[in-house]
Amino acid sequence: MGIIPIKLAGLKRSGLAAAGMARDGFTDMAMRIGAIGLTGLLASVAACGGGGTTSATDAPATATLSAAAAVGEKIFHDPSLSASGLQSCASCHDAAHGHSPANALAAQLGGPNGELQGMRKAPAIRYLAANTPFFFAADGTPTGGFFWDGRARTFAEQATEPFVNPFEMANADKAAVVAKVAAAPYAAEFKALYGAGVFGDVESAYLRISLAVQQYEREDTEFNSYSSKYDAFLRGTATLAEQELRGLALYNAPGKGNCAACHPSARGADGALPLFTDFSYDNLGVPRNPELVRNADPASFDLGLCQRADLTARSDLCGAFKVPSLRNVAVREAFFHNGRFKSLKDVLTFYVQRDTNPEKWYPIAGDGKVQKFDDLPERHRANVNTTEGPYNRRPGEAPALSDAEIDDVIAFLKTLNDGYAP
Amino acid sequence: MHRACVLAAALACAAPPTLAQSTTETELSRRLDQLASELAKVKAELATLQQQRFAAPPVATAPAAATTAASTTAAASTTAAQGPGLAAEPTTVLTSYGEINYNRSTRDSKNTVADVRRFVLGYQHRFDEKTKVVTELEVEHAVSSSSDPGEVEVEQAFIERQLTRQWSARAGLFLIPAGLLNENHEPTAYYGVERNFVETAIIPSTWREGGIQFVGNFENGLTAQFGLTTGFDLNKWDATSTEGRESPLGAIHQELALAKAGDLSAFGALNWRGVPGLLLGGSLFTGGATHGQSSEKSRITLWDLHARYTPGRWDFAGVYSRGTISNTAAFNTPLVGSATLIPKSFDGWYGQAAYKVWSNEDYSLSPFVRWEQFNTARSFADLGAGLTPAGARTERVITLGANFNIGSGIVLKADLQRFRENGYANRFDLGLGWSF
Amino acid sequence: MRIALVGSIAAASALAPAAAFAVDYLSAEEAARLMFPDAERFELHEIVLDAAQLQALDARGVRGRSARWQSLAARRGDATLGHVIVDQVTGKFELIGYAVGIALDGTLKPVEILSYRESHGGEIRLPAWRRQFAGKSSTSTLRVGDDIANISGATLSCTHVTDGVRRIVAVFDLVKKSGGLR
Repeated sequence: MGIIPIKLAGLKRSGLAAAGMARDGFTDMAMRIGAIGLTGLLASVAACGGGGTTSATDAPATATLSAAAAVGEKIFHDPSLSASGLQSCASCHDAAHGHSPANALAAQLGGPNGELQGMRKAPAIRYLAANTPFFFAADGTPTGGFFWDGRARTFAEQATEPFVNPFEMANADKAAVVAKVAAAPYAAEFKALYGAGVFGDVESAYLRISLAVQQYEREDTEFNSYSSKYDAFLRGTATLAEQELRGLALYNAPGKGNCAACHPSARGADGALPLFTDFSYDNLGVPRNPELVRNADPASFDLGLCQRADLTARSDLCGAFKVPSLRNVAVREAFFHNGRFKSLKDVLTFYVQRDTNPEKWYPIAGDGKVQKFDDLPERHRANVNTTEGPYNRRPGEAPALSDAEIDDVIAFLKTLNDGYAP
Repeated sequence: MHRACVLAAALACAAPPTLAQSTTETELSRRLDQLASELAKVKAELATLQQQRFAAPPVATAPAAATTAASTTAAASTTAAQGPGLAAEPTTVLTSYGEINYNRSTRDSKNTVADVRRFVLGYQHRFDEKTKVVTELEVEHAVSSSSDPGEVEVEQAFIERQLTRQWSARAGLFLIPAGLLNENHEPTAYYGVERNFVETAIIPSTWREGGIQFVGNFENGLTAQFGLTTGFDLNKWDATSTEGRESPLGAIHQELALAKAGDLSAFGALNWRGVPGLLLGGSLFTGGATHGQSSEKSRITLWDLHARYTPGRWDFAGVYSRGTISNTAAFNTPLVGSATLIPKSFDGWYGQAAYKVWSNEDYSLSPFVRWEQFNTARSFADLGAGLTPAGARTERVITLGANFNIGSGIVLKADLQRFRENGYANRFDLGLGWSF
Repeated sequence: MRIALVGSIAAASALAPAAAFAVDYLSAEEAARLMFPDAERFELHEIVLDAAQLQALDARGVRGRSARWQSLAARRGDATLGHVIVDQVTGKFELIGYAVGIALDGTLKPVEILSYRESHGGEIRLPAWRRQFAGKSSTSTLRVGDDIANISGATLSCTHVTDGVRRIVAVFDLVKKSGGLR
């Protein structure tokens, strides 16, 4: 797992001298960059604790944002930073929905006119402070990284993409983004923080924009509030209702839901609260979603991990996508990377009946055979996970959870929503 | 004697004297005189040496310390002490034991494993008459690295100081006096290739904690040990693994490796050896196990009773041990449904008989039989209807085998083990062990 | 084989150990007095075994270990009551000093432990265990696990001390038979 190499390439003395920086200012800026970099470094190192939990203490941190985070918050909520002028980060990462989209679209609409469909469902971005850059664990398990395919190593790196993605905020290039920030009401704040001449260099200004957003996402307690009913239950200040406790038992039981296998629910050995993901990847064979425009082309497939430029050789990883945190899953409107399902009930029913009743989920071809795992080309269908419960059963067997049991599990999952007040 | 003969021969050759041989004669007599004076000198030296040895206090026996059974240890000594009133010269002694085991599953022969189970190297260094340090380093499973199954650990590291004739104190990382095996766990000290389950699954041998201990030896045969140490960490319980089912305390022991010491534990042990060949004893260990990490508290208690009787060639042994964990309902509720919840109680006992059927100067053969029953999850605290796991089934293991001792310190072992509950664990084992 | 009378004056001090602390429980002197309370004085004797005797010992299955032995002869007037031999063996790692008392008829007194330093196994100092040796002679088996009971946790110490006693008994038996003792 890596220490994030903070790229300070833009900090060239010559460039700053050209910008007329006094030596004091250089040192000042260097110290500020160093401080941010070090904070980022330390935060990432502290967070490199492996899957499932953070080093967060029980008490949520009190929120007084640093200067960088405050600017980052403003950037995060600024729709003027998009080509259409209508889309900000918050448009797709809505706080009221666990920082995932506020609608049930399979993929959000963006582009200069707000009518282009994105590639995948926008993920929830809470509880990712412990996420590390992508790496292969000792046993070969792909772990970490931001986006559904883990291609971004940090929050900051992830923030650099939507600004210039033609299907999302659709800015022409980084310079356009930087120019917009320079024209924004908080530009003065930005300059006060990073130096008056920051907008003179596009690369370094763009880097600082993404770093500010990262600081906001790391520091703002809304992203890591641990304020759910389940957190209160773990702290001993609340008790779960009977149905919720039953749901937890089914969630944990290896022979029933077995959800805890990839979405751990237990405190860490150091007492850290669970994050409900092990930050690994899984291939579930989620059915193809006709709602996605590009799926009209039968030759178009979203192959997940192996679609990354650095992993094209790993055909065994085709179809694998990030295991997301289940915190706030009950307030999300669409599920899986392709937004195929819109309700938790459907999701859980799919999990337990994917193999016992495949005809419910996949199209039936002309010859009457079910086209299982139709969202993958034939040659990659063997990659789908069929060994771990609950999706390791056969047609005719009873599903791992009955209908009533699914309702119990959903009752439990609702206890994972932030903002519990007794 | 020899010289006398030579001298005589030389003299004999010297006769008869001639004019030409007169120089030889003087030469020879000069040599004789020389030899005589040298001999006198040597005799005198010998006499003084003997006097010195007799006069010097730490002298009573001729043999040097190096020629005892454990001669390899003396070889490593920096200075070997002499005499019963041992001189206060420090000694450093290397110690070691090792086990190489072979296990073959009788039902499933592809499940056959050979392993350097333990390789232990340690030293004892005596600073002075009253003080010494005892350490042991262990390598399990031969190769230790991130991708290999082995482990390297410090098994013991403590200072021992003799306080009075009866009392001594230990401080550091030491073995807890529980059961028959924990303090004497070398392969030459027990029957069978693998250590018995009661003393591995219930009493988590090799169980060591860090702290202080006082040891008292009394004339009536009683040995008392008590102390204050670190304990277990219930927060380490992993409900998703089977470790806790194999050995509840083995899964949460800390081994003084960045051990949480917010809660301390206390222990006491009494052993009576008043009658030669008989040992009766028991121990108790109790302490908090949550170290303030959660709002709930829990206490872990483990106690045991043991006996050993060795009349003549027989060797009988028995141990009963029971452990309890308090307040497990509170800790289990968030883990409800998981594979391995925290048991409220766990216990086990065994009876063992061995007989030294044959022996001579160097070898001895002792077949044995052992019957043990243990349950690593005897009961669970109530979590509510449908949510409380049922207690585990009590496992019963019968072991039949023999120890073949070579010299003093090497043992070859073979045994057959049969499990009542988990028939797939039935196995045939071979083992080689040494200890010095 | 020769017996050299070195001098009774030196005898007592010769076998007196350095200032004893806890691990030195008895001095050789004290042990000798315990074994032969009627003795007036103790005289130091030296026993030197020759090659033939060493071989004989080997043949009996007792390794001689050394050709020189020293003993304290317990004297009352002109009579000899018995002998006390002080020896040391290694327990597990540390030396155990012990004394063996042999009466003129060849029977043993209870063994005395002079010093013990091991962390475990100090129970061999228990009177009950040491008393087992009383009355035994060169005809006894003198083996742990046979006629001498073991002490659980002190197997090596028990075995080595018992082996030592057996060796001393054999040496003495041999020397007595060849008439070397007075």
